[in-house]
Amino acid sequence: MIGMNLKVDVDPRRIGVVALRVIRQLKRDRRTIGLITFAPIVLMILFGYALSGDMSGVTLGLVDGGGHDVLKAHLEGIKDFNILYLGSESDAERLVSEGRLNGAVVLEPGEVRVLLDATSIQISNTILAAAQAGAQEEMAKLLESLASLPSQGAKSGDMSGDVNLIVTRYLFGYDLEMMDTVGPAILGLVVFFFTFINASISFIRERSQGTLEKFMVSPLSRVEMVSGYVLGFSLFTLLQSTTTLLVVTYGFGVPMRGNPLTALAVVLLLGAGALVLGSFFSNFARSEFQVVQFIPLIITPQIVLCGVWWPLQSVPEFIRPISYILPLTYAGDALRSVMLKGAGVTDILYPDLVALGVFFLVFFLAATLMLRREVG
Amino acid sequence: MASDKSAQSPAVSARGVDKSFGRIKVLDDLTVDIPRGVTYCLLGPNGSGKTTFIRAIVGMLKLNGGDLTVLGQPVSQVQTIYSRIGYMTQHKALYPDLTLQENLEFFAGLYSIEKQERERRITDLLDMVNLLEHRHRLAGDLSGGMYQRLSLACTLIHEPELLLLDEPTVGVDPRLRQTFWDYFDRLTSQGKTVLITTHLMDEAEKCKIVGYMRAGRMTAVGSPDEIKRLAGLKPRLELWLKEPEKDAARLKDLGYEIDSVDIAEGLVRIRLQSHDRIKGLLEEVAPLDMRLKEPTLEEAFLRLSEAA
Repeated sequence: MIGMNLKVDVDPRRIGVVALRVIRQLKRDRRTIGLITFAPIVLMILFGYALSGDMSGVTLGLVDGGGHDVLKAHLEGIKDFNILYLGSESDAERLVSEGRLNGAVVLEPGEVRVLLDATSIQISNTILAAAQAGAQEEMAKLLESLASLPSQGAKSGDMSGDVNLIVTRYLFGYDLEMMDTVGPAILGLVVFFFTFINASISFIRERSQGTLEKFMVSPLSRVEMVSGYVLGFSLFTLLQSTTTLLVVTYGFGVPMRGNPLTALAVVLLLGAGALVLGSFFSNFARSEFQVVQFIPLIITPQIVLCGVWWPLQSVPEFIRPISYILPLTYAGDALRSVMLKGAGVTDILYPDLVALGVFFLVFFLAATLMLRREVG
Repeated sequence: MASDKSAQSPAVSARGVDKSFGRIKVLDDLTVDIPRGVTYCLLGPNGSGKTTFIRAIVGMLKLNGGDLTVLGQPVSQVQTIYSRIGYMTQHKALYPDLTLQENLEFFAGLYSIEKQERERRITDLLDMVNLLEHRHRLAGDLSGGMYQRLSLACTLIHEPELLLLDEPTVGVDPRLRQTFWDYFDRLTSQGKTVLITTHLMDEAEKCKIVGYMRAGRMTAVGSPDEIKRLAGLKPRLELWLKEPEKDAARLKDLGYEIDSVDIAEGLVRIRLQSHDRIKGLLEEVAPLDMRLKEPTLEEAFLRLSEAA
């Protein structure tokens, strides 16, 4: 029955008419323009720095049993650590268990032991990461000196490849690396969030001001209407993602190893998905107020489960299927691949682009089918 | 051939149309023909089903029963003729954040009207609704009545054959309302059909045909005069006489229906069967003064409602 009413003739000119109207309306809405431009910067600062793991005032005990000068120098070089030099491991153990130290590193010629207070995972991870980084640095130095020995021959060549790999990773520094993973995801999140909200409010308005009913009695088909919206909003998605990309790359130094156009294409596809999702959910809201109430339901799971701030591996297995149907999971992955690893379109085609495409198509169909329902 | 046939069919034809929302019957065995080329008024109290009927005509409601054809098409196919229908809802369906020009451009665009033609129509319509000077203002800045006028202009932009106007003159001042009616007359003289819902009796008087709806049924259909006759209302003649009692008695004997006699005022009220009996009456009595009072539609509908 619904299929019968679904007009399928599509006239690109009518899509253009709707798109032009959407652009004219958004253009006049200066507050929204300001918001979509500056919100990414605010979010970037919030997520990027607050979650960066950059902790100051970590108190670390150091028991120097000798043999790890590089590692020791590395730890001493971290300005956020307050280092307390201790005489023995038992002292360290006592102070950690009393809570007077956040952790301790025991250096001995044969072994490095890290004592941690497991009640604070973030601090423990910071200390562990610092110790591992120091150890890698030490290993790198060691391999370098081995490679310089003439007798090692061809084998040393292979190893120097490994050394370079470690050294490269290492150059990011710990703080920036967190920013790198967060940056591309914020790009996706910001676009998804604002497009979803703007689109669902626009559709609510079409309904409440009666224009939707008028559309229904015009040659404009539902497919044309939703397509016009996608087209019109895409211009703003483009504007928003370009500014966000510039802020991410120039302002926060996140690398852009791949083609920026590929990254923009990913964001546009994500934005189109957010738009049709917003259009679909607008059918379940009666007012703009109610749309805002969808945020915890629609947006928060994306943030929590998309695998950027908390890895997918840490998401309980029974919830993980949800992660795999959320578009931000794929967009985040695709953006990180493009920006950090220099991936091209073919590299991210499956599963990322395919998943985003399927998400868009499913909700495009759902949105167009739902549009008529309430009226009839 | 098919189009010839459909051109002769009524603009809207309903046969036993039923529509319920839950247990409430909103259209109940509604049968009516709305001929082409007329202004047709749907009149009736709130909740009588006027708006529901209009929404049924544009195919927005799934009917529970009956047959409905629009411009010769069954209502299930009505979407194929949307470009020939103009629909103005009670919501003033416009974009407040667009200018008048942009609103009209947008609706013209939906009907694929070419640019030059579009500009001509926009200018004409804005002139008709007296908003030409506000062309580049935001619609949201307009007053209620102006907004209503713009909404009408947007509905007319594609020059529809069948205009469905749900309370189109709410908030429009009387002078401009007259302009609307003149425009509607112009449209009907071009063979277009204008279907209007209204609460205003004086507006209904201006329509060629009035359909009185009550509880989802059409209880009376006809020209305003026919409706009054149908309600059994007759014109009233008020006569100021020197000898009211005597004259009243004589007129009664001659078969005139005496409504009331006011001796103090010298006033006799008579219900006339038809206007041509006035001449004969004046041959019998010589009033000092007289006044003819036509029944109003309002009286007619009150009478009809009571009867129902």
